[in-house]
Amino acid sequence: MIEIRGLRVALPPATVVLDGVDLTVRAGEFVVVLGRSGAGKTTLLRAINRLVEPAGGTVRIAGRAVTGAEASDLRHARRRMGMIFQQFNLVRRASVIDNVLAGRLGYVPALPSLFGRFPRADRELALACLAQVGLAAMAERRADKLSGGEQQRVAIARALAQQPAVILADEPTASLDPALTGSIMDILRRINVDGGLTLVVSQHQLETALTYATRIVGLRRGRVCFDGPPRDVTTPVVDAIYGDGG
Amino acid sequence: MKRAGLFVALVVLGWAAWDTGADPVRFVRGLPWIVDILRRMLPPDPGVLPQALLGALKTVEIALLGTAVAAVLALPLGFISARNVAGATLFHPARAVLNFFRSVDTLVYALIFVAAVGLGPFPGVLAVVAYTTTSLAKLYSEAIEGIERGPVDAITATGATRLQILRFGVLPQVLPLFLSYVLYRLETNIRAATVLGFVGAGGIGFYLQTYLRTIDYPAASTVLLVTVAMVMVVDAISSKVRERLV
Repeated sequence: MIEIRGLRVALPPATVVLDGVDLTVRAGEFVVVLGRSGAGKTTLLRAINRLVEPAGGTVRIAGRAVTGAEASDLRHARRRMGMIFQQFNLVRRASVIDNVLAGRLGYVPALPSLFGRFPRADRELALACLAQVGLAAMAERRADKLSGGEQQRVAIARALAQQPAVILADEPTASLDPALTGSIMDILRRINVDGGLTLVVSQHQLETALTYATRIVGLRRGRVCFDGPPRDVTTPVVDAIYGDGG
Repeated sequence: MKRAGLFVALVVLGWAAWDTGADPVRFVRGLPWIVDILRRMLPPDPGVLPQALLGALKTVEIALLGTAVAAVLALPLGFISARNVAGATLFHPARAVLNFFRSVDTLVYALIFVAAVGLGPFPGVLAVVAYTTTSLAKLYSEAIEGIERGPVDAITATGATRLQILRFGVLPQVLPLFLSYVLYRLETNIRAATVLGFVGAGGIGFYLQTYLRTIDYPAASTVLLVTVAMVMVVDAISSKVRERLV
């Protein structure tokens, strides 16, 4: 589903954030990316849909190149990848349903959308996505009136509204009360198991990662230092990912 | 360092006082004359109230129309002079042009437009448009530069076009600020428009100047009172609306 080859990201002036990442994610996997802060987790996720422009290497989604794609091909690739952010990144002043509708922007006719007009089918789909995360009753509320956990569920609904094949989630529970971690991760698991979507999720919490992932990828200094099932994550592996040594 | 700054400030102010002939004694000697003028202004002449009210209405119209047109014209200018939206090739010349035109006051524009299109309220409207467009564009662009990056990333990740990103990621964040700036400009433009009549650009200032020139102080005081009332009413309405925006 996702093929990453030799992916390099450099940030000005001279910081190499990703240093030749190779990773193939098969359809239906629930991949959790682990690593210390600064290891390149966020950058890896953002380079997959080119919110960060890679300096080298290739990314392909369902066989189609993302890297090097022209603007309209890139938009087509992006709408097949829903993204969830640590800070939710909702438009605070907009209503919940308008935030979810934004997930349809890659599909709906462009001109009417600029005037806030969306086809009825897209509105119904957005409402259905909101129902999937249990927030159908909140559709007309202003996004910033919701709690953090609810806002992240709205963000998940927005990603689902894209009818994506892949969900990229960057530390989706890191800004939330620890008690809410499970509820968000449960929703993601349901999307993975019932919806058949491929998930790539970064996590800083080891236990959560091991509970939900079907595959763990460890990043260290911009390189993959472990790749395998959760049961293979032994103490030496954890040390390799998180340890202080070279 | 602090002491040197204070010293420089005192020298500059002292020089300015000397060069402008600022003299407290002269001011005190002039006080009886001010009292005399005030005494001759009373009681106000109610006979000129109709003219004064019509003049005030013209002034409000000049400010309203000028501000409204400027609010729209400033939109594209605001976007191209925002560092985070426009490229450097667009941003630097746009900012330079804005700063140049913004340094000319409404009254100076009025002199130019009276010479160009003749006497009356119309050159007043043009003057308000000319100044307000550039000053609003500057305020708009600063609002755009202050937006949160997160929602823009999220909208980009859905596969939206550049225009859709502006419409759904940027506009909802800045629109309440824009409206608030427009109302604030309307308040200041009402004040600026009261003196436009002095240079033949219509409104209540024309009457004030005429009565002062013909030494009809009671009539002038009626016009002044109407001006004060007009400014206060517009300020009150505008600030009430602004409170609700943010």
